[in-house]
Amino acid sequence: MSMNKKTKMVSSSINKERVKRIIFEFVMLCVAAYMLIPLLWIFSTSLRDPKDSFKLPPSFFPTSFKISNYKRVFIDVPFLHFLINSFTVSASLTILQLIICSLASFAFARLDFRGKNIIFMFILSGLMIPAQSTIIPVFLLIRYLRLTDTLWALILPGLTNPLGIFLMRQFMLTIPRSYDEAAYIDGASKFDVYLRVILPMSKPSVIVVALITFISSWNDFFRPLIFLNTYEKMTLPLGLTVLQGYMGTGNLSVILAGVTLSLIPTLILYLLTHDYIMKGMILSGLKA
Amino acid sequence: MRRREKIKDTLTCYLFIAPALLFFTLFIGGAILVNLFVLSFTRYNILNPPQFIGFQNFSDFFRDPMSGKIFYNTVKYAVILLTVHLIIGLLLALGVFGEKNKKLRYFYRTAIYFPSIVSTASVAIAWAYMYDKDYGVINYFLQKIGIINEGIPWLTSTKWSIPAVAIFSIWKFVGNNFLYYLVGLQNIPTSCYEAALIDGATPLQIFRYIILPLLTPTIFFVSTILLIGTMQMFDEPYLITHGGPGDSSRTIALYIYEKAFRYYDMGYASTIASVLFILLLILTILQFVMQKKWVIYEYE
Repeated sequence: MSMNKKTKMVSSSINKERVKRIIFEFVMLCVAAYMLIPLLWIFSTSLRDPKDSFKLPPSFFPTSFKISNYKRVFIDVPFLHFLINSFTVSASLTILQLIICSLASFAFARLDFRGKNIIFMFILSGLMIPAQSTIIPVFLLIRYLRLTDTLWALILPGLTNPLGIFLMRQFMLTIPRSYDEAAYIDGASKFDVYLRVILPMSKPSVIVVALITFISSWNDFFRPLIFLNTYEKMTLPLGLTVLQGYMGTGNLSVILAGVTLSLIPTLILYLLTHDYIMKGMILSGLKA
Repeated sequence: MRRREKIKDTLTCYLFIAPALLFFTLFIGGAILVNLFVLSFTRYNILNPPQFIGFQNFSDFFRDPMSGKIFYNTVKYAVILLTVHLIIGLLLALGVFGEKNKKLRYFYRTAIYFPSIVSTASVAIAWAYMYDKDYGVINYFLQKIGIINEGIPWLTSTKWSIPAVAIFSIWKFVGNNFLYYLVGLQNIPTSCYEAALIDGATPLQIFRYIILPLLTPTIFFVSTILLIGTMQMFDEPYLITHGGPGDSSRTIALYIYEKAFRYYDMGYASTIASVLFILLLILTILQFVMQKKWVIYEYE
C-alpha cells in the first residue's frame, strides 16, 4: 500500500518534471523562432518575383527561386563596389588597429614608464565618448586633410580603439612575468619580447578584438553616411539604403537580395569564429 | 652614461604607445575637447570661417522647442530599452544556461546571438517593411492568430512607434547582452550552488540568493554598455521611423546629424553634442557611484 503510494508520487513528480521541460523547450523554441523568422523572411522574399514581393501570405521558406534578383543587384547598382569597399575598409582598419593597439597594450601591460597610468586612463575615458560628440571636429579634420569621400575617412578615425587596448592589456596582464625576464636575459629587445613572446601568447584576445573591430566596421552606418557621397565609394550598409531609395518599394525582392548578400560574410565569419568569441570573452576577463 | 640609457629606455616605451596616442588625440580625445571648448561657442556653416559667439548657442539651446523633445525622447527610449534589454537578456541567458541538451543549447545560442552581429542598417530596411500596416508580415501574423482585427499602424502612430523600435531593438541587440550574461553565468563556480542544491533549495531561491548576487558585476557592466549605447541611438530612428511620427522618435543623435550635416549649422550641432556628452558623463559617474551600493565583487 505505502509502496504503491510512493511509486505514484515518484511518477507524478517525473510527470511534473516532464511538463516543465516541455514548457521550457516550447518557450525557448518561440524565442529562436522570433530571432530566425525575420531572417528567413528576408531570404525567402529575396527569391520571389519582384511583383509578388508584397503578396500575402508571406513565405518563410523559399517558394520560388528568382535568382535574377541577385543578378539585378549587381547590374543595376554598383553592388560589387559596395562589397569591395566594405571589405577594404574593414580589413585594413582591423589590421592597422591591431598593430597600433597591441603595441600600446603591450606597453601598458608589460613596461614601466612615467605617466603610464595617466595615459592609460586618458585613452580609456574614450569608452564613454559618444560618436556624435566627436563627429563634427572629426569631419572638419578629415575635410581639412582632403579625405572626405575616400575610404581613409572611415579608417583613420577608428585606428585607436580604447576597448581593444583595454581587452588586450587585461589579457597580457595575466601572462607570468618570467616569460619576459627570460627573454631579456637572452638579450632580447622590448620589441622582440612584444613580437615573439607576448603577442603570440595573447592570441585569444587579439582574435576577439579583431572580430569586434571587423564586424562593427562592416556594419557601421553613421560614419559612411557622413563621409561618403559618391555612389562608387559607398560601403554596404549605406549602399543598401541608397539602393532602397533608388528602387522604391516596388522592388522589395531585389532590395532584400542585397540585404541577404550583405549578411553572408558576417554569417561565414560567425561560423568560423564563434568558439573564439565565447572563449576569448571569458579569457579576456569580460566578466567585468 | 646610465642617465642617457635610462632616457633612451623611456623613449622606447613611449614609442610603443605613440601611434595609439596620436590617433586617439586626433580623433577622440582632442576632438571632444575641440567640440566642447571651441566649436560649441561658434557660429559655423562651413562656407565662412567660424565666428566666436560666446554662450549664444547655449541660450539658443534652452529656447529651442526641439531640445526638450529630443532629450525627453532619448531618455524615454534609453530607460525603456535599458530595462527591457537587462531583463530579457538575463532571462535568455538563464534559459540557454539551463538547457541540458548540448545541440539545442548551441542552436539557441546561435539563433539569439546572430542578429547582433549583422548590420543594423541592412536589417532595419527589412524590418521597416515588416512593420507595414497593410502588407507587413507582423500584422499579417497577428491577424492570423487572431490577436488583432485591424492592422496596427506600427510606424505611423506615436503610441505604437515605441513598441516597434523596442521589438526591433530586442531582436537586433539582445544577443550581445545575452552573451555577456552567459559568460557571467559560466564564470560562477558550480561549487557555489551545488551545496544549496543538495540542501533542497528551489531553483528560484538559488537564483535569488546565489546567482543574482554573483552576477551583479555583469549586470553593472551590461547596464553601463546599454546606457552609453541607447543614449546615442541613431540607426533605428534614422532608418525605421525617420524621427517620426511627428518628432516622437527624434533622438539627440539624429538631431545632431540633421543640424550639422543637413543644415550645416555646425556650431549649434556641436553645442548639442557637448550637452549630450556632459549628460552621459554625469550618468556614467552616477552609475559608478551607485554601484558601490549593489555590486558585489568578492567571491565566497
